[in-house]
Amino acid sequence: MPLPTNLMNNRIKELRARHNLTQLDLAKMVDVRRETIVFLEKNKYNPSLKLAYDIAAVFKLTIEEIFIFKEN
Amino acid sequence: MKIRRKTIMMTSILIMVLIWGFIIFTNVSSAMEGLDLFIFTLIILIAVIALIQALKTDKDEKAGLPADDELSTRIKYKSGYYAFLVSMYMWLFIFLFNDKFPDNETMLGGGILLSALISFIAKYAVTHKFNE
Repeated sequence: MPLPTNLMNNRIKELRARHNLTQLDLAKMVDVRRETIVFLEKNKYNPSLKLAYDIAAVFKLTIEEIFIFKEN
Repeated sequence: MKIRRKTIMMTSILIMVLIWGFIIFTNVSSAMEGLDLFIFTLIILIAVIALIQALKTDKDEKAGLPADDELSTRIKYKSGYYAFLVSMYMWLFIFLFNDKFPDNETMLGGGILLSALISFIAKYAVTHKFNE
Protein backbone atom coordinates (compact mmCIF):
# COMPACT_ATOMS: atom_id res chain seq x y z
CA MET A 1 0.00 0.00 0.00
CA PRO A 2 1.57 3.34 -1.00
CA LEU A 3 2.24 5.85 1.74
CA PRO A 4 -0.08 8.87 1.67
CA THR A 5 1.65 12.16 0.96
CA ASN A 6 0.65 15.76 1.51
CA LEU A 7 -2.09 15.18 4.03
CA MET A 8 -1.80 18.71 5.33
CA ASN A 9 -3.77 21.66 3.98
CA ASN A 10 -3.48 25.19 5.22
CA ARG A 11 -5.31 28.51 5.11
CA ILE A 12 -2.24 30.74 4.96
CA LYS A 13 -3.10 32.34 1.60
CA GLU A 14 -6.65 33.13 2.71
CA LEU A 15 -5.57 34.52 6.09
CA ARG A 16 -2.76 36.54 4.54
CA ALA A 17 -5.23 38.16 2.15
CA ARG A 18 -7.61 38.86 5.03
CA HIS A 19 -4.85 40.58 7.02
CA ASN A 20 -3.58 42.50 3.93
CA LEU A 21 -0.15 40.93 4.19
CA THR A 22 2.17 40.18 1.31
CA GLN A 23 4.25 37.01 1.21
CA LEU A 24 7.29 39.16 1.97
CA ASP A 25 5.61 40.72 5.01
CA LEU A 26 4.66 37.35 6.43
CA ALA A 27 8.13 35.95 5.69
CA LYS A 28 9.71 38.83 7.62
CA MET A 29 7.30 38.37 10.54
CA VAL A 30 8.10 34.68 10.96
CA ASP A 31 11.77 35.05 9.96
CA VAL A 32 11.84 32.76 6.92
CA ARG A 33 12.58 33.25 3.23
CA ARG A 34 9.75 34.28 0.91
CA GLU A 35 10.11 30.99 -0.98
CA THR A 36 9.12 29.13 2.18
CA ILE A 37 5.80 30.99 2.28
CA VAL A 38 5.28 30.20 -1.42
CA PHE A 39 5.91 26.48 -0.79
CA LEU A 40 3.60 26.50 2.25
CA GLU A 41 0.77 28.13 0.31
CA LYS A 42 1.13 25.56 -2.47
CA ASN A 43 1.00 22.76 0.15
CA LYS A 44 4.39 21.57 -0.99
CA TYR A 45 6.01 21.80 2.39
CA ASN A 46 4.88 20.83 5.87
CA PRO A 47 6.40 23.33 8.32
CA SER A 48 8.17 22.57 11.56
CA LEU A 49 6.16 22.91 14.74
CA LYS A 50 7.97 26.17 15.55
CA LEU A 51 7.16 27.74 12.18
CA ALA A 52 3.53 26.58 12.43
CA TYR A 53 3.36 28.12 15.89
CA ASP A 54 4.92 31.42 14.66
CA ILE A 55 2.45 31.63 11.76
CA ALA A 56 -0.46 30.90 14.10
CA ALA A 57 0.78 33.65 16.43
CA VAL A 58 0.85 36.18 13.55
CA PHE A 59 -2.80 35.47 12.72
CA LYS A 60 -3.75 35.13 16.41
CA LEU A 61 -5.24 31.69 15.79
CA THR A 62 -4.42 28.17 16.91
CA ILE A 63 -2.29 25.84 14.79
CA GLU A 64 -5.32 23.58 14.18
CA GLU A 65 -7.29 26.49 12.76
CA ILE A 66 -4.61 27.16 10.12
CA PHE A 67 -3.21 23.74 9.35
CA ILE A 68 -5.84 21.15 8.55
CA PHE A 69 -4.88 17.51 8.70
CA LYS A 70 -6.82 15.40 6.19
CA GLU A 71 -7.45 11.88 7.44
CA ASN A 72 -7.99 9.09 4.92
CA MET B 1 24.43 53.88 2.51
CA LYS B 2 26.42 50.72 3.22
CA ILE B 3 23.94 48.65 1.22
CA ARG B 4 24.08 51.08 -1.73
CA ARG B 5 27.88 50.96 -1.80
CA LYS B 6 27.73 47.15 -1.75
CA THR B 7 25.27 47.16 -4.68
CA ILE B 8 27.48 49.49 -6.72
CA MET B 9 30.51 47.28 -5.99
CA MET B 10 28.67 44.08 -6.93
CA THR B 11 27.30 45.60 -10.15
CA SER B 12 30.77 46.89 -11.12
CA ILE B 13 32.30 43.46 -10.52
CA LEU B 14 29.53 41.80 -12.55
CA ILE B 15 30.01 44.20 -15.48
CA MET B 16 33.81 43.77 -15.34
CA VAL B 17 33.55 39.98 -15.27
CA LEU B 18 31.12 39.99 -18.19
CA ILE B 19 33.26 42.39 -20.28
CA TRP B 20 36.50 40.51 -19.55
CA GLY B 21 34.77 37.18 -20.15
CA PHE B 22 33.46 38.40 -23.49
CA ILE B 23 36.87 39.80 -24.55
CA ILE B 24 38.72 36.64 -23.51
CA PHE B 25 36.09 34.40 -25.10
CA THR B 26 36.13 36.21 -28.46
CA ASN B 27 39.97 36.23 -28.53
CA VAL B 28 40.52 32.70 -27.36
CA SER B 29 37.53 30.82 -28.76
CA SER B 30 38.98 30.74 -32.29
CA ALA B 31 42.22 29.20 -30.98
CA MET B 32 40.39 26.74 -28.72
CA GLU B 33 38.46 23.76 -29.81
CA GLY B 34 36.82 20.64 -28.46
CA LEU B 35 37.41 19.93 -24.79
CA ASP B 36 39.19 23.24 -24.02
CA LEU B 37 36.28 25.24 -25.38
CA PHE B 38 33.85 23.10 -23.38
CA ILE B 39 35.80 23.62 -20.14
CA PHE B 40 36.12 27.36 -20.75
CA THR B 41 32.37 27.66 -21.40
CA LEU B 42 31.72 25.65 -18.22
CA ILE B 43 33.90 28.01 -16.14
CA ILE B 44 32.01 31.06 -17.44
CA LEU B 45 28.64 29.32 -16.88
CA ILE B 46 29.47 28.38 -13.28
CA ALA B 47 30.81 31.87 -12.55
CA VAL B 48 27.60 33.44 -13.87
CA ILE B 49 25.37 31.05 -11.88
CA ALA B 50 27.39 31.70 -8.69
CA LEU B 51 27.15 35.45 -9.25
CA ILE B 52 23.39 35.33 -9.82
CA GLN B 53 22.97 33.35 -6.58
CA ALA B 54 25.15 35.83 -4.67
CA LEU B 55 23.10 38.76 -5.99
CA LYS B 56 19.85 37.01 -5.06
CA THR B 57 21.09 36.36 -1.51
CA ASP B 58 22.25 39.97 -1.26
CA LYS B 59 18.81 41.20 -2.38
CA ASP B 60 17.07 39.00 0.21
CA GLU B 61 19.35 40.24 2.99
CA LYS B 62 18.59 43.83 2.00
CA ALA B 63 14.87 43.04 2.23
CA GLY B 64 15.46 41.87 5.82
CA LEU B 65 15.02 38.17 5.10
CA PRO B 66 17.30 35.48 6.51
CA ALA B 67 19.90 33.90 4.22
CA ASP B 68 18.87 30.43 5.38
CA ASP B 69 15.76 28.94 6.93
CA GLU B 70 14.34 25.46 7.61
CA LEU B 71 13.17 24.86 4.02
CA SER B 72 16.38 26.08 2.37
CA THR B 73 18.41 23.92 4.77
CA ARG B 74 16.33 20.84 3.84
CA ILE B 75 16.71 21.63 0.13
CA LYS B 76 20.46 22.03 0.66
CA TYR B 77 20.78 18.64 2.40
CA LYS B 78 18.64 16.86 -0.18
CA SER B 79 20.36 18.40 -3.20
CA GLY B 80 23.74 17.77 -1.56
CA TYR B 81 22.89 14.07 -1.31
CA TYR B 82 21.86 13.84 -4.97
CA ALA B 83 24.84 15.89 -6.14
CA PHE B 84 27.18 13.60 -4.19
CA LEU B 85 25.59 10.47 -5.68
CA VAL B 86 25.70 11.73 -9.28
CA SER B 87 29.24 13.09 -8.84
CA MET B 88 30.44 9.68 -7.65
CA TYR B 89 29.20 8.04 -10.85
CA MET B 90 30.64 10.90 -12.90
CA TRP B 91 34.09 10.37 -11.33
CA LEU B 92 33.78 6.64 -11.95
CA PHE B 93 33.19 7.27 -15.66
CA ILE B 94 35.95 9.87 -15.79
CA PHE B 95 38.45 7.36 -14.41
CA LEU B 96 37.12 4.59 -16.68
CA PHE B 97 37.66 6.77 -19.74
CA ASN B 98 40.79 8.57 -18.52
CA ASP B 99 42.61 7.77 -21.77
CA LYS B 100 40.22 10.14 -23.59
CA PHE B 101 41.70 13.16 -21.75
CA PRO B 102 44.88 14.85 -23.00
CA ASP B 103 46.41 15.09 -19.50
CA ASN B 104 45.62 14.58 -15.80
CA GLU B 105 45.15 18.33 -15.10
CA THR B 106 42.41 18.57 -17.73
CA MET B 107 40.76 15.43 -16.39
CA LEU B 108 40.75 16.59 -12.75
CA GLY B 109 39.87 20.21 -13.57
CA GLY B 110 37.03 19.10 -15.83
CA GLY B 111 35.78 16.70 -13.16
CA ILE B 112 35.75 19.40 -10.48
CA LEU B 113 33.93 21.77 -12.83
CA LEU B 114 31.35 19.13 -13.69
CA SER B 115 30.86 18.43 -9.95
CA ALA B 116 30.10 22.12 -9.44
CA LEU B 117 27.67 22.09 -12.34
CA ILE B 118 26.00 18.93 -10.99
CA SER B 119 25.50 20.57 -7.59
CA PHE B 120 23.80 23.60 -9.21
CA ILE B 121 21.57 21.34 -11.32
CA ALA B 122 20.70 19.17 -8.27
CA LYS B 123 19.76 22.26 -6.25
CA TYR B 124 17.60 23.58 -9.11
CA ALA B 125 15.88 20.20 -9.57
CA VAL B 126 15.23 19.64 -5.85
CA THR B 127 13.88 23.19 -5.42
CA HIS B 128 11.45 22.79 -8.31
CA LYS B 129 10.35 19.27 -7.44
CA PHE B 130 10.23 19.72 -3.66
CA ASN B 131 6.99 18.30 -2.27
CA GLU B 132 6.98 16.79 1.19
